[in-house]
Amino acid sequence: MGQLLTRQPRKLARNRAIVRTATVIAAVVGAVLSGGCRPGNNANNANNANNANNGGNGGAGAGGTPARGGELAASVHTDPQSFNRLVKRDSTSDLVASLTHARLVRLNRATEEVEPWLAASWTRAANGLSYTLKLQPNVTFSDGHPFTADDVLFSFEAVYDAKVDSVLADSMKIGGKALKVAAPDPLTIVVTFPEPFAPGVQLLDNLPILPRHKLGASLKDGTLTHEWGLGTPVDQLVGLGPFVVTQYVPGQRVVFGRNTRYWRRDANGAALPYLDRITVEIIPDQNAELLRLDGGQLDMTATEMRPEDYATVKRGADAGRLKILDLGVGFDADSLWFNLKPGGLGPKDARAAWLQHDGLRRAISLAVDRELFANTVFLGAGVPVYGPITPANKKWYAADLPRVPHDPARAIVELASIGLTDHNGDGRIEDAGNRPARFALITQKGNTTLERGAAVIRDELKKVGLTVDVVELEGNAVIQRVMSGNYDAVYFRLTATAMDPALNPDFWFSSGSVHAWNLEQKTPATDWERRIDEVMHRQTASFDEGERKRLFDEVQKIFAEHLPMIHFVAPRIYVAVSTRVTNLTPTAFSRPQLLWAADTIAVVH
Amino acid sequence: MLIYLLRRLAFAVALVFTVSSASLLLTRMAPGDYATEALGVGGGRARVEEMRARYGLNRPIVEQYRAWLAGALHFDFGRSFAYDRPVADLIPQRAANTAILAVTALAAATLVGLPLGIVSGARSRGTLTALIRTGSIALLSMPPLLTSLLLVFIAARTGWFPIGGMRTGASSSVDIVDLLRHLVVPASALALPIAAMFERLQSQAMREVVGQPYVLAALARGVPRSRVLWRDALKAALRPIASVYGLVVGTLLSGSFAVEIITTWPGLGSLMLEALRARDVYLVAGCAATGSVFLACGTLLSDAALALVDPRARE
Amino acid sequence: MTRRLGLLLVLIAVVAAVTAPILAPHATDDKFPGLLNAPPTLPHVIDESGSWRAPFIYPWTLADRLVQRYEQDRTIRVPLVWFSGGHAVGSSGEARAPLLLLGADSYGRDVFSRLLFGARVSLGLSILAALGSVMIGGLVGAVAGYAGGTADDVLMRGTDVVMVLPAMYVALALRSVLPLVLAPFTVFVFLGLIFAMVGAPFISRGVRGIVRSERGLEYAVAAASLGAGHVRILARHLLPATRGFIAVEMTMLVPAFIVGEATLSYVGLGFPEPVSSWGTMLHDASSLRIADFPWLLSPAVAIFLFVLGLNLVLQDGREGLGYERPL
Repeated sequence: MGQLLTRQPRKLARNRAIVRTATVIAAVVGAVLSGGCRPGNNANNANNANNANNGGNGGAGAGGTPARGGELAASVHTDPQSFNRLVKRDSTSDLVASLTHARLVRLNRATEEVEPWLAASWTRAANGLSYTLKLQPNVTFSDGHPFTADDVLFSFEAVYDAKVDSVLADSMKIGGKALKVAAPDPLTIVVTFPEPFAPGVQLLDNLPILPRHKLGASLKDGTLTHEWGLGTPVDQLVGLGPFVVTQYVPGQRVVFGRNTRYWRRDANGAALPYLDRITVEIIPDQNAELLRLDGGQLDMTATEMRPEDYATVKRGADAGRLKILDLGVGFDADSLWFNLKPGGLGPKDARAAWLQHDGLRRAISLAVDRELFANTVFLGAGVPVYGPITPANKKWYAADLPRVPHDPARAIVELASIGLTDHNGDGRIEDAGNRPARFALITQKGNTTLERGAAVIRDELKKVGLTVDVVELEGNAVIQRVMSGNYDAVYFRLTATAMDPALNPDFWFSSGSVHAWNLEQKTPATDWERRIDEVMHRQTASFDEGERKRLFDEVQKIFAEHLPMIHFVAPRIYVAVSTRVTNLTPTAFSRPQLLWAADTIAVVH
Repeated sequence: MLIYLLRRLAFAVALVFTVSSASLLLTRMAPGDYATEALGVGGGRARVEEMRARYGLNRPIVEQYRAWLAGALHFDFGRSFAYDRPVADLIPQRAANTAILAVTALAAATLVGLPLGIVSGARSRGTLTALIRTGSIALLSMPPLLTSLLLVFIAARTGWFPIGGMRTGASSSVDIVDLLRHLVVPASALALPIAAMFERLQSQAMREVVGQPYVLAALARGVPRSRVLWRDALKAALRPIASVYGLVVGTLLSGSFAVEIITTWPGLGSLMLEALRARDVYLVAGCAATGSVFLACGTLLSDAALALVDPRARE
Repeated sequence: MTRRLGLLLVLIAVVAAVTAPILAPHATDDKFPGLLNAPPTLPHVIDESGSWRAPFIYPWTLADRLVQRYEQDRTIRVPLVWFSGGHAVGSSGEARAPLLLLGADSYGRDVFSRLLFGARVSLGLSILAALGSVMIGGLVGAVAGYAGGTADDVLMRGTDVVMVLPAMYVALALRSVLPLVLAPFTVFVFLGLIFAMVGAPFISRGVRGIVRSERGLEYAVAAASLGAGHVRILARHLLPATRGFIAVEMTMLVPAFIVGEATLSYVGLGFPEPVSSWGTMLHDASSLRIADFPWLLSPAVAIFLFVLGLNLVLQDGREGLGYERPL
């Protein structure tokens, strides 16, 4: 299954599976992916219930109806790569898609529930494989053309088309097989899964519904992949989302205007979206972005705040210009992993015996003081984690996972058990051949939490005698090394693209493209990876939520035993937003934390 | 004269060719490519390979270079991967933005630095001279990065001037006043150190020229001091500035990375950096080529200026 | 007078760099995890009750970790200790109340100590690279200006190429052929070479221009007619005329190199721990944060003062030299 991911610089948005991203200097980055299935996220709007969960205070202004009209200035770190979401997966393209397109159902990032969207309702057949969805009546595209089930059929044809070679295709397949879609009447869609798939219709949140009347011809003649590139006149872009692109200036901004034909209404029956216009400025540098936020030229930034910016933003908040939303613990934690591909270190590297040994990773997990880590890297705003699923993911977090204590003495014993001891009394440990136990840890330059995290790891491991050379590289160089397997160890962030593990197969399955420590294996390299594959397979196919939870707990347990990735601390997510913005539904789950529900955001004006 | 110009033109073409080729090849050699950048860690090997094939990145470096060269001969400089449009469509606007910034900064630096240099050079004592001198030595001692950071910081805190971009909001019409307001911070950041440099160079040259016999002779003949100063001495004293002027023009135009990035000025420098980050090879080559065109113009200008103020430099 | 001030500033920087291991209370990678971004601990000599004491500091206690706010604990006086443990000065309670004369950075490292050690790298690198630029650029410019003709064209066009090709491209491509783990010395050498190359065109253009016009002046012609060799004319008569220009350029190259080192660290040519440098320290003090943690700007002040010193020395020293020399 595929996954997708998007790379994006610091902003990344996507949701889904586990992905990570890196960033670079200016933003660089990449992100990765995810899991299987779901690519896009993006959401479009939110429902108008505006309560943030997670304690964010996003609420609407004073109780009444949010004010209609006004404009908002947001930012992203990079240009979109395309206006055609089918062919590009970067977070800005994804954001554009979420503002200008709609999907059949929406995963509410705040409540974690699947909500009716273009599909007003659905039912599951007794066999569990097919779903019948009833579409919203009287919906029109932004150019006035009516929306029907035929457009849904078209969108599926397009995403599965071999010539289009869509980046979303993998995320819309189950076990490599496409869904079957039929339209018995213009307002009904029947979707049939090839095999039992627990998340069900949630998968449909990945697919933006595109207009056949605009793109049908190019699908037929095989040129859809070139349609809606960045050079397309913006009035040619047609969608079902709350906004339409009204201007794109490369390297500077994308401007969105209200889609006057958008179908959603708020609880009082007023047409959405509330905003007349959203200007998304392209600002690669995070310092520049923060300055503009503080100076009132931006209402919100692309991503959560860096911990070191908290003091600065707090000053703006105290002055009444900004407010800080505390979204609780994040869904992703930076992680350290080793190159576990057999022979991946090079045939002559004698370090493989210990560098790829489980014992080394267990020792590292014991040697690093997670409290110190949280205090240094996240200024205390983080919680210790022991696996890839953080406590933020309430439904899937295995709360009974053993908490690895900070115990350098045990780490030293663990290291000795794999042959690493201090033979010559120099305070550094060596292997059996008296070669120093030393490895290079690659991380991304310019990402301050990664830089600080790597420094803490190096210092903590020095205390147990391991020598770590931290090498800070530009984002693309990191990605290139990971993909080509040319590294000892990496410290990086993969960002989850979905909360439901079944939607992150690329991370969990050994054949997955985000199975970072040993990518895309033909057959599982180890027994424990084979076991994870098996359990995940059952977990994905089961419709019994209790059983799925049990099975996934087991997966997390196996993961914690072998630690292919070591996680230390998950940060708390804080978002800064101008006080004039109201009616927010923030999510800690994915970026953008606020704009995912753009149609219900309002401003005071 | 015509031959001279033709020769200069040939050199300029050679410069553009060398620089763009070098940047294309260097970027190709850098780790990662557009496919890894666009797809990220989870892209999957198959898709990355497919993407490389689609963009012709899987060809050997020599072949890719040859193909690009063949196109460039017909003024086809390739397509930007990231922006999905011909490089030739993308660059003019950014180059124009950079030119606006550079010309403004240069004009400001010249208008401020030159007269101050003449004033401080013409008289070696006095509070005014000391003040000017202190100011420009202090400015020269500031790393340009710091000057920009401070200016941006001051602008952000006071709210006197916008600190980012070229215009307010999404209006596409050109509003001169708005543009000028946006120019203040980045242009000052660029202009202040240059003004200081001009002032110093001019001041020294002036002082030396003022002591020359022909100036003294003119004064002795009763030509008014201000006229000697502003007409005769000035012309001779312009030589050092004239010789660096073109250089300053060229380097300003070929992209002022730091200032453009800190102030998010949508110019050539920030485009080039983004292109490098994304390994958008043809765009990188195009940006470098544009930079070298600017530089070639700058050196030509410099030589012309030098020839104007100093007949000895003429061939 | 101003020249003496300049000399003093430069001298202070050099002395600081040389004596860093003694003057610095801490090593560059000593970290105080409880004191991230802590403000300076200023030495006091008068205590709360107003009586005089041997110099001491008050410890900081963390008031709010997330906003990095610290409060001074005035109830405890931590005396300073002198000349112990190989350091000129330190705190008697290192673990709880280290002496942080210029505060701590975001890793909890002593900014003052890093500044002293950073002077070695930054001054050494920038001055050596600037001298390298002067040598390369001076040679190229002198030959081009003196010889004229084809040599002039070739050299000056080559100079143009170097000038317009961003150093970052070269560094990025270079990084990919270097080993993954680089020793500080290797980084130093490569950065030095890159900077010397990058700076050279600025020197060579000016030198060429000056040599070119001076060559035609009577004194040079006279020297030639008296049988002076080319090298002698260049070295003895023409190059001295470029001194003023080179001095101005040097004072611009040095700060550019100090700061440029941080830029190239982004493409992987950065110094590994525990080496500190002014450029990287300055870069870490990003724009807005300077209001909240002004002591992080101390590398900027250091760069400013050092370059100011350099400017004062070179500018003043140059009076009387330069263009009037032919007379």
